[in-house]
Amino acid sequence: MSSTVYVAGLGVISAIGNNVAENLQSFELEAAGIGDISLLDTIHCKKRPVAEVKLDNNELAVITGLPADTSRTALLSLVAASEAVNDAAIPNLESLRTGFVSANTVGGMDRSEHFFIDFVKDKKRGKLRNIFDHECGCITEIVADQLGIRDFMTTISTACSSSANAIFYAARLIKNDMLDVVIAGGTDSLTKFTLNGFNTLMILDDEFCKPFDENREGLNLGEGAGYLVLVSEKVAKTLLNKPYCKLSGYNNSNDAYHQTASSPDGTGSYLAMKGALEKSGLNPSDIDYINLHGTGTANNDSAEGIAIKRLFEPDYPPMSSTKSFTGHTLGACGGIEAVFSALAIKNGIIYPNLRFETRMNEVPFEPERKFLKGQNIRHVMSNSFGFGGNCTSLIFSEI
Amino acid sequence: MLTENYITAFCTISKGVVSKNGTKIFKNTNDGPASFFTSIYQHFQLKYPKYYKMDNLSKLGWLATEILQYESFEKNNYQPEDIGIVLANANSSLDDDIKYFETTKAIASPSLFVYTLPNIVIGEICIRNNFKGEQAFFIQDKFDADFMCQQVNYLLNENILQACICGWVEVLEQDYKAVLFLAEKIKTKKSVLFSAENMDKFFNDIDN
Repeated sequence: MSSTVYVAGLGVISAIGNNVAENLQSFELEAAGIGDISLLDTIHCKKRPVAEVKLDNNELAVITGLPADTSRTALLSLVAASEAVNDAAIPNLESLRTGFVSANTVGGMDRSEHFFIDFVKDKKRGKLRNIFDHECGCITEIVADQLGIRDFMTTISTACSSSANAIFYAARLIKNDMLDVVIAGGTDSLTKFTLNGFNTLMILDDEFCKPFDENREGLNLGEGAGYLVLVSEKVAKTLLNKPYCKLSGYNNSNDAYHQTASSPDGTGSYLAMKGALEKSGLNPSDIDYINLHGTGTANNDSAEGIAIKRLFEPDYPPMSSTKSFTGHTLGACGGIEAVFSALAIKNGIIYPNLRFETRMNEVPFEPERKFLKGQNIRHVMSNSFGFGGNCTSLIFSEI
Repeated sequence: MLTENYITAFCTISKGVVSKNGTKIFKNTNDGPASFFTSIYQHFQLKYPKYYKMDNLSKLGWLATEILQYESFEKNNYQPEDIGIVLANANSSLDDDIKYFETTKAIASPSLFVYTLPNIVIGEICIRNNFKGEQAFFIQDKFDADFMCQQVNYLLNENILQACICGWVEVLEQDYKAVLFLAEKIKTKKSVLFSAENMDKFFNDIDN
């Protein structure tokens, strides 16, 4: 049994950068990655802003060495997962039991949409190769093969909490001595499928999103991938670089309220945050920063805010939604924001919540508006709440 | 040696008739599916306001599980994690998909959209009953009793579940049919063996 799970490496690709360094720089410059749709062919062009990764599939193919007709979901995944593995630089990795736990929600849907256009016109047309990797697990397999991971792999798909659950599950695999090292996180690419779906739910903002603002009007979809390399105590002792932090708490709870909405009082969010605190043995006052789920929808931010009020009252830690930079990356957001949480501890920083103007009526606190350096960040809570009421909170702590 | 499991209750809703354990308990052949389902809800004096916002597939599955359990199943004898659901049909959520697709020509309906998955009916049943065990929804051309029997026996015999609601829930426009079985490990006075033959027999009986 390994009682502690350490974060040894980080990798991220999002609308604000293709690696950890670029993401950090965008935060410092307070430069959001949201804008007009440029890569996706959709009727929503010029109408709905999104947060696209600023590389097309050909460029991603060159970086990863994968064919350009690979699903964008896999291309993004491999970029971030490779960065995380290289960053961890684990000595004798080949001799360790290594797993890949990767989340996504769209799978190879981007390729299936190509297939569909020809196929609908003529049932004999459409390249079958384009639907070969439709299923979510195929994305994980493609990337695990490239990373050379043979011991264990699995895919988690629980909507917007997917990759937080991947990290949660990976930690349990290490704690139970089933694996020594797990690359855990998630990936999602922008597709017509998700854009149209969220459009139907009437929760997309026509402007740049305003998380936790009284006048918020919805979310901007984003894409990207984020991974942590989690290691056991035994492996942590062999590392050349000091680990970023440890994963000290996690919890998953469900309020079973509605297919796509949180209960108005945020029961699921409250239980997830409370459970993660109990697991870590910390008090609410120990949390130095909350990376909010903060999608910018009326329902999420209100429910999450009310849950935070209930748990943290009367003293609220600094908090912000980095989705104001990256958009909502769905199955990837838990992984991407776990990377940001680990960096907050390592670098003593707090990220700004862009475009915040007006405090929400239902809460007595406001998110942080400025990029703060030189902070003493010991414990970070990262929230990821998904459709189906699937709510997960992770807590990262300094070593 | 394989353990024997038992059908301790079954419920069918088809062609304007509701039957429980082979006995007709309600009939209303005048209405289409939507009105018929609501007449069942009213006749049995069920009280669950959320019922009204469900799509027809969820309404049918929900009604059938209410009637299946009534005076036949003491769910509190089990842990929530020990009760599961395995369902199947041939047309997935197509009934709601078509209705939703019609609305996309004007303003796409969020309330129809959230039912465009077949396993939402399982979610509605689990939320109502606080069931937290394994669940699955299969799509197959026609009711495959052998397959269903194998799936559910596995879940029960491996102690993954102690009780399972299983069967067929299908709605497509004017056609509908629900045949649900309660499978348990305990033998009761009225129970019959949980077998593909018995499931097939009860499944086909309602059409005669």
